[in-house]
Amino acid sequence: MSTLVLPDQQVRVENTTVRHVRPTRRLGASLRKTLYRSGAIIGFLLVWELVPQFVLEPASRVFLPPLHEVLQQLWKMIISGDLGTHIVASLGRSAIGFILAVIIGVPVGLVVAWFAKVGDFLNPLLEVFRNTAALALLPVFTLLLGIGELSKVSIVLYAAFFPVLLNTILGARSVDPLLIRAGKTLGLNNFEIFSKVVLPASVPIIFTGIRMAGTSAVLVLIAAEMIGAKAGLGYLITNSQASFLIPKMYAAILTVAVLGFVVNAALVALEQHFSRWARA
Amino acid sequence: MSTIEIKNLTKKFLRSGANESTAVTAIESLDLRIEDGEFFTLVGPSGCGKSTLLDILAGLSTPSHGEVLVDGEPISGPSLERSVVFQQYALFPWLTAAANVLVGLESQARHGQGPNKADRRARAHEYLRLVGLEGVEDKYPHELSGGMRQRVAIARALAHEPKVLLMDEPFAALDAQTREQLQDLLLDIWKRTRTTIVFITHGIEEAVYLGQKVAVMSAKPGKITEIVDIELQDRQAVDDIRSTRQFGEYRHYLWTLLHRHGRQGEEATIDKTLITSGASA
Ligand SMILES: Nc1ncnc2c1ncn2[C@@H]1O[C@H](COP(=O)(O)OP(=O)(O)OP(=O)(O)O)[C@@H](O)[C@H]1O
Ligand SMILES: [Mg+2]
Repeated sequence: MSTLVLPDQQVRVENTTVRHVRPTRRLGASLRKTLYRSGAIIGFLLVWELVPQFVLEPASRVFLPPLHEVLQQLWKMIISGDLGTHIVASLGRSAIGFILAVIIGVPVGLVVAWFAKVGDFLNPLLEVFRNTAALALLPVFTLLLGIGELSKVSIVLYAAFFPVLLNTILGARSVDPLLIRAGKTLGLNNFEIFSKVVLPASVPIIFTGIRMAGTSAVLVLIAAEMIGAKAGLGYLITNSQASFLIPKMYAAILTVAVLGFVVNAALVALEQHFSRWARA
Repeated sequence: MSTIEIKNLTKKFLRSGANESTAVTAIESLDLRIEDGEFFTLVGPSGCGKSTLLDILAGLSTPSHGEVLVDGEPISGPSLERSVVFQQYALFPWLTAAANVLVGLESQARHGQGPNKADRRARAHEYLRLVGLEGVEDKYPHELSGGMRQRVAIARALAHEPKVLLMDEPFAALDAQTREQLQDLLLDIWKRTRTTIVFITHGIEEAVYLGQKVAVMSAKPGKITEIVDIELQDRQAVDDIRSTRQFGEYRHYLWTLLHRHGRQGEEATIDKTLITSGASA
């Protein structure tokens, strides 16, 4: 900086000005950045609000009510507790299936990764299952388990299981062999190598699988609820449509969107928390 | 503080699914004795089998023929008695510096040896201090520089007080200045603990600076061709010992040995007796 040649006082003056200017400038910049980033969303919401009112004919407006009507409806449903019931139903099912998938998927993945023979044997089958869309199997689940909670939880479990399992296998297999060698020279036995080296080393990749599992748990459940259920957001969407309660249907869709966004954000944060050390 | 005897050691690597004839012989009929408390350095061209030898000493791989005795006992797998420092640090990235240093101590405790819990923590901190890393106990490896990481790795290898320290090009990835600092640190530690050290390097200068003995290895098949006693005075007692004539002669002599085996049949032109005796000066 050229301040090197300036007399003391001037340096101080300049520093003070800089100190005064910076915070506001930074605040302004971050505000502008936030605005810029949410620009597309705000634009979309504006289109949703204005197009039905000023562009669409009244006949089609029924099928696409403006945003404020949907929000009014949403508010009514929140107040009445109606929406809460459906959210709880959906979240409960997703959570149970998702948690079961993690509880089963991680240990199974570790075993498959550790015993290469088991892995070689199971791998082709796993590939087939993984590449079969969970929803394609929904009729099977419904036939075998009915349309109750069991079939919902099962399909979520199925959809969430494979990302967890495959990422666990991948994570455990891609552990740096050098770390395993280091562990051995530090007196770790086979079990300790597994629990103290392989498992922690795979955590970031396992959590990537868990995040993917969480997202698909919600997606698959909504779809399953749309096909056959007595509660839940998916049911709310199809049921409102069938009863021609169009704003209610949109309110439910909006809820699904927000819910998916929140679940994903939470899982991303979790993933980042557990892989702090891996970002070297 | 252990004697290592290597007797008629051969190590072959079989290509998977292939027969004996295509096996790579990394080490052939190697004999070597490393004395208790010795600082032993090993130089040789790339691929001559240095790491293979170190792996066997560590117990991470087994000989095809021959045997390795540590204090008269054959090696049966890795042991806390023989610590390893790897070139790529090999720190556990999910553990803090102090927790990395604790790994060996905790294994020791599981075998009913070593200090109790509170003392283990104190010991980990003590060894981090020994390698000049006070205040980074709670930092993760990715928050440390390469030199600091290798210091943590050295502290981790030493904290449970092994009898032998095995080092495979530990300073190769570091810049020249950091490398010299760590060489001096290692000499200090060795003088204090008198641990037997086997140190592999590509650097002739590094080998001469650190080693009491420098073994020269040749490739195809991996053999020790010469062991040179380095009779320099205390490295750190003299300013810039690397620029002294005696140091230069050792360096040149080893250089010639290494290159002689590169060019077939040519004899080393320097006689070992030319090197001025190191006991004086
Ligand atoms: N696991 C392995 N399988 C097959 N061949 C191997 C294996 N490990 C080492 N080798 C071979 O053994 C020889 C010696 O390898 P080694 O790693 O011991 O060399 P090095 O002296 O440590 O070399 P550098 O100085 O480059 O580290 C090489 O020819 C190498 O290709
Ligand atoms: Mg090597």
